[in-house]
Amino acid sequence: MDEKQIWDVRAFIYRHFAETTHAPSVEETASHFAVTHEEAASAYEQLHQRHAFFLKPETHNILMANPFSAVETSFKVHANNKTYFANCAWDSFGIPASLHVDAEIEAVCSQSGENIHFTVRNQQVRAERSQSVRAADVLVHFLTPFKDWYTDLPST
Amino acid sequence: MLFFRSEELLNEWLASNKAGRGAVLSVPHIWELSQRWYHNRMSTDYHGRNMEQIQNLFREVGLNTEFWQAG
Repeated sequence: MDEKQIWDVRAFIYRHFAETTHAPSVEETASHFAVTHEEAASAYEQLHQRHAFFLKPETHNILMANPFSAVETSFKVHANNKTYFANCAWDSFGIPASLHVDAEIEAVCSQSGENIHFTVRNQQVRAERSQSVRAADVLVHFLTPFKDWYTDLPST
Repeated sequence: MLFFRSEELLNEWLASNKAGRGAVLSVPHIWELSQRWYHNRMSTDYHGRNMEQIQNLFREVGLNTEFWQAG
């Protein structure tokens, strides 16, 4: 696949995530572009190396295409009448920011386990009224400095 | 990147995990970062950012400490 086709694969994968909440398999991508399994797998590898998305180690299965997670996490985002999984606290806001839609975010406090629920409406974020805290009281902690983010992205 | 309902709960988590404090952002701040970082992610023209673009983006939202530097 040439350079343009490789980036077309990236666009297809993101569109697939947005429409289905899931990552397409190599077979689905090969079928969509009418290319061989090997060509689609090679495009996945090249896009992984460019940090366009990330594969599960030793596989061609997509693990994360930020902000989307291909596996269930404790960061749920309800939008477009679907439930997406985000990779982290930041990415839970990244889903409505990338899709430009209203959303409900369900997550938990990592220390207390208490539910945290935000609503995104018209590009504004607020905590649900049932919560005893305001959105501005909730914190997001970044443990890993930026220079180390891509050393082990799943941990980051 | 994890959520905490308060500074106190974050400090408890850091102590129990023997972890150092990284960077802490409020929800309005993480929303601002998210909008800048992700607004064009679905575009077919989005091919990622180079390091200079990332550093500029961080600076634009006030993230200019060593934590946010490329190294």
